Amino acid sequence: MKKEDTVKLISAEGFEFIIDKKAAMVSQTIRNMLTSPGSFAETEHGEVTFPEISTTILEKICQYFYWSLQYASGKETEFHIEPEITLELMMAANYLHT
Amino acid sequence: MSAQKKRNFQIEAFKHRVVVDPKYAEKTWKILEHAIHEIYNHNASGLSFEELYRNAYNMVLHKFGEKLYSGLVSTMTSHLKEIAKSIEAAQGGLFLEELNRKWAEHNKALQMIRDILMYMDRTFIPSTHKTPVHELGLNLWRDHIIHSSKIQKRLQDTLLELVQHERTGEVINRGLMRNVIKMLMDLGSSVYQEDFEKPFLEVSADFYRLESQQFIECCDCGDYLKKAEKRLNEEIERVSHYLDAKSESKITNVVEKEMIESHMHRLVHMENSGLVNMIVDDKYEDLGRMYNLFRRVPTGLALIRDVMTSHIREIGKQLVTDPERLKDPVDFVQRLLDEKDKHDKIISSAFNNDKTFQNALNSSFEYFINLNPRSPEFISLFVDDKLRKGLKGVTEEDVEIVLDKVMMLFRYLQEKDVFEKYYKQHLAKRLLSGKTVSDDAERSLIVKLKTECGYQFTSKLEGMFTDMKTSQDTMQGFHAAVGAEIADGPSLTVQVLTTGSWPTQSVTTCNLPPEILGVCDKFKTYYLGTHTGRRLSWQTNMGTADLKATFGKGQKHELNVSTYQMCILMLFNNADRLSYKEIEQATEIPASDLKRCLQSLACVKGKNVLRKEPMSKDIAEDDAFYFNDKFSSKFYKVKIGTVVAQKESEPEKQETRQRVEEDRKPQIEAAIVRIMKSRRVLDHNNIVAEVTKQLNSRFLPNPVVIKKRIESLIEREFLERDKTDRKLYRYLA
Repeated sequence: MKKEDTVKLISAEGFEFIIDKKAAMVSQTIRNMLTSPGSFAETEHGEVTFPEISTTILEKICQYFYWSLQYASGKETEFHIEPEITLELMMAANYLHT
Repeated sequence: MSAQKKRNFQIEAFKHRVVVDPKYAEKTWKILEHAIHEIYNHNASGLSFEELYRNAYNMVLHKFGEKLYSGLVSTMTSHLKEIAKSIEAAQGGLFLEELNRKWAEHNKALQMIRDILMYMDRTFIPSTHKTPVHELGLNLWRDHIIHSSKIQKRLQDTLLELVQHERTGEVINRGLMRNVIKMLMDLGSSVYQEDFEKPFLEVSADFYRLESQQFIECCDCGDYLKKAEKRLNEEIERVSHYLDAKSESKITNVVEKEMIESHMHRLVHMENSGLVNMIVDDKYEDLGRMYNLFRRVPTGLALIRDVMTSHIREIGKQLVTDPERLKDPVDFVQRLLDEKDKHDKIISSAFNNDKTFQNALNSSFEYFINLNPRSPEFISLFVDDKLRKGLKGVTEEDVEIVLDKVMMLFRYLQEKDVFEKYYKQHLAKRLLSGKTVSDDAERSLIVKLKTECGYQFTSKLEGMFTDMKTSQDTMQGFHAAVGAEIADGPSLTVQVLTTGSWPTQSVTTCNLPPEILGVCDKFKTYYLGTHTGRRLSWQTNMGTADLKATFGKGQKHELNVSTYQMCILMLFNNADRLSYKEIEQATEIPASDLKRCLQSLACVKGKNVLRKEPMSKDIAEDDAFYFNDKFSSKFYKVKIGTVVAQKESEPEKQETRQRVEEDRKPQIEAAIVRIMKSRRVLDHNNIVAEVTKQLNSRFLPNPVVIKKRIESLIEREFLERDKTDRKLYRYLA
């Protein structure tokens, strides 16, 4: 996989998730970060740090990105969410405009 | 997350973290303000999008949206004021470039700011009904840059000046122009219209008013139109290059109004080069240009059409009333056709085959063809000429073309029944003398007339053809039956004509020579034997005869003459000298015909089988005639034509006219009765209108005549006047 096609998402605890740009852009916020005309630090380095999102949640979010892509392409499956992380996940979703 | 929406469980309102630091908002805004400065200063690469976004996000979440928004407005405003100063400072030609550059920068910065403040755009702005960030940026730009007192006027002038430069042939930076115009359009259509389009249109109007004035003074019509067309295309091209597409119709309107509409009349009537001259000289290109340009203005085409119509009427009138032309009917009709062809070509090649123009042309022709009461006769004569000789060696298609053209003229005729009368006469002559070139062409024309005017119109004409056919069969039968008996005598060909189908002839049978009379009687007996209850009378004025004659030196000739001439010549078998009176007595040919026959027998050089005393051109009552022994000719066969009055003489014309009028009476009456039968009650004017409508495919009835017919019908108790209202008529069943 080419480096240009991926993006590194870093959680509050410093865990790094490297995923496809295409998947990351499911989030409108991340899409803006990566496509904004000015060269922000994120665009240049290809990595985004989320100091307010924990590793568990970010992992779930990354899973969701890929699930969403599949869902959009017509593969209808359930996306399972554990009740205990629901609240935090929703806050992150609002933040990421997903 | 969308997936969660599928599950149906309640979520309690989220409680924000309580902000501990009271200066939190101030601090966060400072970070964002700094970022906006950096963005305007092209220093964005050091900034973290996530951090800024998170700060803005938190500010909105912690209900500092108002502070964020107003802070943005004031920061952006101060930046734009800076920018305005640097644009104002730009010198001369650099002004636009600076403006354009700053605009591009502002746009980019604006987009970045919008991106980091996206959360505010998404939640805070809709709920408080504020202007979204991007639009806000554009509005601020409009207010502080474009509408700043020092820039607004300068920008306008610069743009208009550039357009003016381009109009006078200079090359300008169209890319820059396009960008600046695009900017105005981006700021909203009202900005574009107020700050550019309106003054642009005004300046253009002035420019073209002046220019068209100059052009019209020094150019002829064709050149002027060329220039106008060029200008128009330039403007359209300009719009496509750097103006709003919507401006096209506006600017072309200006050009049309200034360059065409205000000079329209002068152009059309321009001496030596106006519309009429173009038509006369077949200038298709100029005419086409005029059509295309004038089509753009409301009354343009109507003007062209009117001028063309009056021109055609004028030349048409000259044509049909010129006494010189009337001498040669064939030429007369040919000229009409040429005229029609010419204008048809103009309409098809220059006027886009415009229906309204075709109609105008048709109505003009209808107008002037009917100015001359002899047109029906002449058209029939033209056909006669074509069918007698004009179509020899011409292909079938060409024949069709000629016939179609004739039909076209025929359609213009109002008095179609007059044409029918003449056509019948001419057709009869053609058929009886066997002069018709092509039976197919004859029939084809009949079919055309039939489709044009209906079965009634041609039934008699078709009857004539049937008679010809039946006569052939009859003659075969006759020869088979009595051929042997009369083998020694002169051979006879009879055409039996149905009375009614053929033009009525005053039957004055001349005295036939005894030899002929014998054969004729034989035929009569034969014919009446097979068809009982019929009457045969001889139409001696229509026949022809072939004579074998031996002249003084023993040379033999075959003389092809008319029946009358045959009768005269046969008299000279028994006598060498006969006076006019003697001939008249012996033959009983009507005086006018006799004179004509004698003239052609005695006075035509090379064909003078008789000799007249005294020698002169005309026949007098006391002339004497001798058999011309000295007659000689290169040919064995000599055809002696009668001096035929091709065109009708004045009394004949009157007679035909009268017959036509007579024939019309029953037609008008029939029409009145038909109408009244269905309407029962109708007033005078309506009857006249309806009758005219019913009959106009055949002729144009005169209201006075219609009135007479109505009176006659009242007398004969078909109709009555209403007792109370004298204008009303009732139908009496």
